[in-house]
Amino acid sequence: MEVQKEAQRIMTLSVWKMYHSRMQRGGLRLHRSLQLSLVMRSARELYLSAKVEAHEPEVPLLPVRSSDPRLHQLREAEAVSEAAPPDSEPPSPEPMDTREAPRAEETPAPCAPRPSKVSRKRRSSSLSDGGDVGLVPSKKARLEGGEEEGASSEVPDRLQPPPAQAEGAFPNLARVLQRRFSGLLNCSPAAPPTAPPACEAKPACRPADSMLNVLVRAVVAF
Amino acid sequence: MERERLGPWCSPTGSPAPLSCETGCGEGSWILVYRLLVPTQVSLLSMEEDIDTRKINNSFLRDHSYATEADIISTVEFNHTGELLATGDKGGRVVIFQREQESKNQVHRRGEYNVYSTFQSHEPEFDYLKSLEIEEKINKIRWLPQQNAAYFLLSTNDKTVKLWKVSERDKRPEGYNLKDEEGRLRDPATITTLRVPVLRPMDLMVEATPRRVFANAHTYHINSISVNSDYETYMSADDLRINLWNFEITNQSFNIVDIKPANMEELTEVITAAEFHPHHCNTFVYSSSKGTIRLCDMRASALCDRHTKFFEEPEDPSNRSFFSEIISSISDVKFSHSGRYIMTRDYLTVKVWDLNMENRPIETYQVHDYLRSKLCSLYENDCIFDKFECVWNGSDSVIMTGSYNNFFRMFDRNTKRDVTLEASRENSKPRAILKPRKVCVGGKRRKDEISVDSLDFSKKILHTAWHPSENIIAVAATNNLYIFQDKVN
Repeated sequence: MEVQKEAQRIMTLSVWKMYHSRMQRGGLRLHRSLQLSLVMRSARELYLSAKVEAHEPEVPLLPVRSSDPRLHQLREAEAVSEAAPPDSEPPSPEPMDTREAPRAEETPAPCAPRPSKVSRKRRSSSLSDGGDVGLVPSKKARLEGGEEEGASSEVPDRLQPPPAQAEGAFPNLARVLQRRFSGLLNCSPAAPPTAPPACEAKPACRPADSMLNVLVRAVVAF
Repeated sequence: MERERLGPWCSPTGSPAPLSCETGCGEGSWILVYRLLVPTQVSLLSMEEDIDTRKINNSFLRDHSYATEADIISTVEFNHTGELLATGDKGGRVVIFQREQESKNQVHRRGEYNVYSTFQSHEPEFDYLKSLEIEEKINKIRWLPQQNAAYFLLSTNDKTVKLWKVSERDKRPEGYNLKDEEGRLRDPATITTLRVPVLRPMDLMVEATPRRVFANAHTYHINSISVNSDYETYMSADDLRINLWNFEITNQSFNIVDIKPANMEELTEVITAAEFHPHHCNTFVYSSSKGTIRLCDMRASALCDRHTKFFEEPEDPSNRSFFSEIISSISDVKFSHSGRYIMTRDYLTVKVWDLNMENRPIETYQVHDYLRSKLCSLYENDCIFDKFECVWNGSDSVIMTGSYNNFFRMFDRNTKRDVTLEASRENSKPRAILKPRKVCVGGKRRKDEISVDSLDFSKKILHTAWHPSENIIAVAATNNLYIFQDKVN
């Protein structure tokens, strides 16, 4: 339990640092972001292994998720739609605007770059796809306080992806955080467990004021 | 290491003792020559402030309270003769110090460095396309070898490298026909005679002019620049790419290393430092965040993505910890003057590698191993991300690097002795002998020892420099520059 708590604390800290690094002068530092994501990943692995030992219900889903080919597609879709790759380095208050430009010029990713709006639409439409509904927490679900299964199942997806994917999530973290916080702020304190910040979130509103409280809530949730 | 008694290696009259002749690493042999406060900027770094109103205050302020974040020294570099010492700071300024000339009357005054030139190298910029601010902080300064009366140096911030020419002017022409002494145009009707302007001596003026600006070649943040031994080219390295420049050409550069993956999600390591071989103009090394060093030969191919040599030490499983990956990241890599060895600095150690042996370093020195159990706290306060530099002495027998609490460490490669010294205001009486410091790891703390928990992590020495031929070192402690020399000098 101690290990879990410590891992959670480290994760919270890492996420906070990632978010904070967007605010600093000079833009997002690639090396720093990479290091934070490494710590984040180690913390998640530690947390998960501690959880496995404690026989949490999400455990059986882990092997399934990791090998699910649909998951890769979905994750790539999320990654592309969430934010630009790290080399765009935009601490922009308007994530949607900056995302398009850098992505268009810099990402020869497997997924074709597409405008964020479109991808978000795709995401929500994919939510209605029954097969995937469990993988991605829906906006609706979060607001209504349901979909605990979905959210928590998303957690193991994120927490134990192939290393390459894990690295890829980190540049988007800060921006996703921003959106996630605003989402959480709108929820009641008894909100359902939300996926870790690496997951997709609803559209951006504004950064959370009580970031740490929200962070704690987010982390404790899973 | 056992505690050594303090004592100068030679008497004040200057008769040298054998040990200090060799290495200068003996305990008690370092004295403070000069403690300089880099001239303070009055303005702050806020974006709202009009840059034009920024003033540079050329007086030395002894009071810390005037120091702003802009004064934090971010790089220190001696030139090839050691006559000049350049510092760059977070405010984008370069301050060059010049060593006082030796005079028969004042033998002991040799070794003092005085301000020679100050100029604003980089200004804050704003990239409108990406909506991000480009810091003016000087990341690195590298001198070019002197080829005429003027001095040339390269200075870089995150995105732009500039070549500066620093030259002296001690004569000025007088006796113009069309202008009067103040420079005002004369009425041609009043000119009745012609004269030849003559050069008359004037007060020495040192002027710095930007001769080249190498911009728009880096998407990521530049971390290193290195002048090639051919003196015609240099390289600049950012997180993912290394570019080769010709000094004469500013609108083109060759990309010689590119480790950017096709899919950024697969990124696992970044370039952290790069340097050209001191003698072989085709060879360079670059270090990575994974603790590896790659040596590349530019003759092999235009794009040196495939290394010629790959230096990596297998990880010690007993040392594996949560933060292993972070602390293995190499923050600095330096060739020895001989070109035979490379030295790397990661968070806790300094390693010396033989170019002929790739599977492990030939020497490993623990800089502050007592921090290994504190990594979590250091992660919390961001200290674990500090990038320490390391330097060789002129003969490659001693290596030096910084630590916390304004400590810096020297390791003698021959005798295997090491010393911890402190650059502090309390000990900053000129010619005061530096007392070796010791950090107490646990148990009983002896007098004069400092416990790990009372170390001040805000006082860190990231940048140091060693004179190319003498035992004179420059240590940057936040906004202070300390110059120490071996007492023999």
